[in-house]
Amino acid sequence: MDKLKLRQICFLFAAVLPAAKLLIYPSTLSYYAKNDLLLSAALNFLLEGAVIALVMLLAQKTRGTFFSLLQNTFGQAAARAVYLLLALFLLASAVLPMLEQKNFVTQVLYENVPSVLSFIPFFAVCAFACTKGLKALGRIADIALPVFAVSVAVLLLLAAPHADLGALQPPGAAGARGIFTGTLFSLPWYTECLFPLLLLGHFDHERGAAWKVLLSFAAGAGAVLLFLALFYGIFAELTILTQYPLAHIAKYTTVFTTLGRADFLFIFAVALVCIFCLCIPLQLCVHCVREAFPSVPPAAPAVAVSAVLLILSVLLNYSFNAVQTLCMRYAFPAYLLFAYALPALSLLLHKTPPQAKARQNGRRRKKNSEAAALRQARRREKRRSKELL
Amino acid sequence: MKKQQQPFGTDAEQNAAALKALLPAEDVLVYTFCTADGTPCTAVYTDGITDKELLGDLAARPLAAAAAPRTREEAKQRLLFPETKDANDCAAAAEEVLAGNPALFIGGIAGAIVLGTKKISVRAVAEPQTAITVKGPREGFIEDIKTNMGLVRRRIKSPALRLDGCRAGKYSGTDIRVVYLEGIADRKTVQQIKDRIAAVQIDGVPDSSYIARFLAEKPYSLFKQTGTTEKPDIFCAKLLEGRIGVLVDGSPIALTLPYLLVEDFQSAQDYFVSPYRATLSRLLRLLAVLLSLYLPAFYVAAQLFKLQLLPFALLLTVSGGIQGIPLSPSLELFFLLAVLEILIEASVRMPKYVALALSVIGALVLGDTAVKAGLVSSPAIIIVAMSGIAAYTVPDLTGTLSVMRLAFVVVAGSIGTYGILLLTAFLLYYLLTSDGYGAPLLAPFSPLVRRDLKDSLLKADLFALDRRPAVLRSKNKTRLKAAKREEQRHG
Repeated sequence: MDKLKLRQICFLFAAVLPAAKLLIYPSTLSYYAKNDLLLSAALNFLLEGAVIALVMLLAQKTRGTFFSLLQNTFGQAAARAVYLLLALFLLASAVLPMLEQKNFVTQVLYENVPSVLSFIPFFAVCAFACTKGLKALGRIADIALPVFAVSVAVLLLLAAPHADLGALQPPGAAGARGIFTGTLFSLPWYTECLFPLLLLGHFDHERGAAWKVLLSFAAGAGAVLLFLALFYGIFAELTILTQYPLAHIAKYTTVFTTLGRADFLFIFAVALVCIFCLCIPLQLCVHCVREAFPSVPPAAPAVAVSAVLLILSVLLNYSFNAVQTLCMRYAFPAYLLFAYALPALSLLLHKTPPQAKARQNGRRRKKNSEAAALRQARRREKRRSKELL
Repeated sequence: MKKQQQPFGTDAEQNAAALKALLPAEDVLVYTFCTADGTPCTAVYTDGITDKELLGDLAARPLAAAAAPRTREEAKQRLLFPETKDANDCAAAAEEVLAGNPALFIGGIAGAIVLGTKKISVRAVAEPQTAITVKGPREGFIEDIKTNMGLVRRRIKSPALRLDGCRAGKYSGTDIRVVYLEGIADRKTVQQIKDRIAAVQIDGVPDSSYIARFLAEKPYSLFKQTGTTEKPDIFCAKLLEGRIGVLVDGSPIALTLPYLLVEDFQSAQDYFVSPYRATLSRLLRLLAVLLSLYLPAFYVAAQLFKLQLLPFALLLTVSGGIQGIPLSPSLELFFLLAVLEILIEASVRMPKYVALALSVIGALVLGDTAVKAGLVSSPAIIIVAMSGIAAYTVPDLTGTLSVMRLAFVVVAGSIGTYGILLLTAFLLYYLLTSDGYGAPLLAPFSPLVRRDLKDSLLKADLFALDRRPAVLRSKNKTRLKAAKREEQRHG
């Protein structure tokens, strides 16, 4: 079976998945939550953390995959249907980050190459990654951790002297409505709590696994919150206009007068991690298809998924705003359902297959009937001895 | 039964004739002599690879001095050879004769006695040109497998050292030895290697690189799949770590498996200097490899797409240098890299004295004139030169790096920085899913094996390296006992 280590899941949460929240998310969030963007994001993280905790609780109780749990409860056909729906959701949820990254490439990395052309090779890389299974997903996390940690640390260190954290005061200025709207509309960037559910049964459970995963998640969340704080501290009211803050957060450092924009090297490193991050939902999408239909060779869904995304990237080339509005304002129930409700409700699924359960029940019934017969015999003997007396 | 497999009779001349009929080549000769009582004896040998003096002194002379022996054992006692073998049919005898060991037939005794008088002129054991060290042993493997086996045996005097023999090459019949330490090397991997060598169907094996192709899990990969070394000390160190070695007759390059990419960043000298110096050297090598790979590509991307990457003063210098250059940055770099490759190729093939002149012409005259003529810019020449030199800090990766460097320049020129990132991502996905004999190519970094990091890009103190690399799955994990370690520390 395609397996990863618990450590790799921790690294995914600490270093790969937070990278996607450093592109357009900060400026979008500040539009709704203004100086309360930290509160809004923290709420998202808390919600996500709670779901991850539930999934890890489930992981403690079962060694099976999510597919086997579905199969135990609803049968194979229903499990396949749910997995196909999940695959569709993962594919759909990758559209916004894909367009976001495409725009990042156009606006930050180039000035003069058509975005569609420059982004096409990504789909080849993605297809290749998808054929490699969960092994690639886990191992890339091992590589991404030092890259992300060093790059983000350097960028934050360069940015910190220029941040006026007083800009975040007073808390609650955006009002409860602003904070909650920010939280609700940020859901497209917070789908990773679904991932451990799909990885269930594909990693060996260790002692304290839940804590390890939650601490890693907290580390990733901390990095994002710090980034958001410094971002607002530097740009304050201009945050809404400062799209892709990753490219701008450290640019006021004075050393650049002699060094050039050396921070770009670290921005490139984070952009590399963003490529890995964007591949993850698609790798899991292919994983879902293969779990539901094991006879399908990995290349077929990998190519299909990448091709669909390529077509969407061409069709939606100039519709980023429309897609963003759709995902944030109208599609949030889908995000809530698949990324939050489904993992939380999976605790209710049967952990053992029906046949095994029947066998267990049979054994219990047999034990009970034997005990009852024994009790009856004893009682009869007692009665007989009383009669004799 | 085939004629070749028919057993020899007791008639020495007839046996020799049968063997000669199987080996009609003119360099296979038959030497006939008689014992004191007139019994005919014949020796069939290959001219040029047999020590005729030994054959005469230690075989013909003692036999001619006395009556013919009656049994094979008696004959062997009379012959003064430490190394004799029996061959009962033409095929077995022919194989030995072609290997340089004569087949001796004595009248009245069935079969042949094979005498170990192989004499092949070999070059002296010397320091290999590809792995020169300032400190540490200077011996290198040579083309003769027996000498190489001796060099290994001299360093590991343990009965656990196994040198299992096999042959490959339909016509060359090349002797191959699978070398490992019983109890340390993973048995499954040993068997897997033996099976793969046994399955080789090829006419000849001129060099160990041929066997390396058969042992590779991904034979078409751009990246190396087997470790290579010309130094017996490195070879033995790898055996002691739990790796399996392959020695091929005729090749001074020994193979080691499983192979990890990080091995190429390690040098023999790292183990003979202080761990701090060794770590610094390894990090420098990594930096050099990254520079070699990315510097030309980022130079192109910076010129085409990201001018802010360069500091203002440098930007002015570069823009002054590139003014009037007719080629685009990527084409200019591509052209210069091609010139670099041609120069390297030519200087490797040329005799030494011509190579010196060639480097003067190539580096000074051609480079200087090209800049003066306005064909290429000076920054581009500096970048290419730096990249070229940096690649040679890790000699085993030079070939791969030169191809990858060109690929990076192409993507940087066409889609800029994002192209470089995508190619990097593709390479990483490829490398981290390339496992060979159960060992991931990028281990101990991905998958992360914390214990093995002590001897990766970092080089810990000798006492910290008390365990064999976990990635090699050795049953015997300890290579330095803690108690011994403490004793060593406290004198």
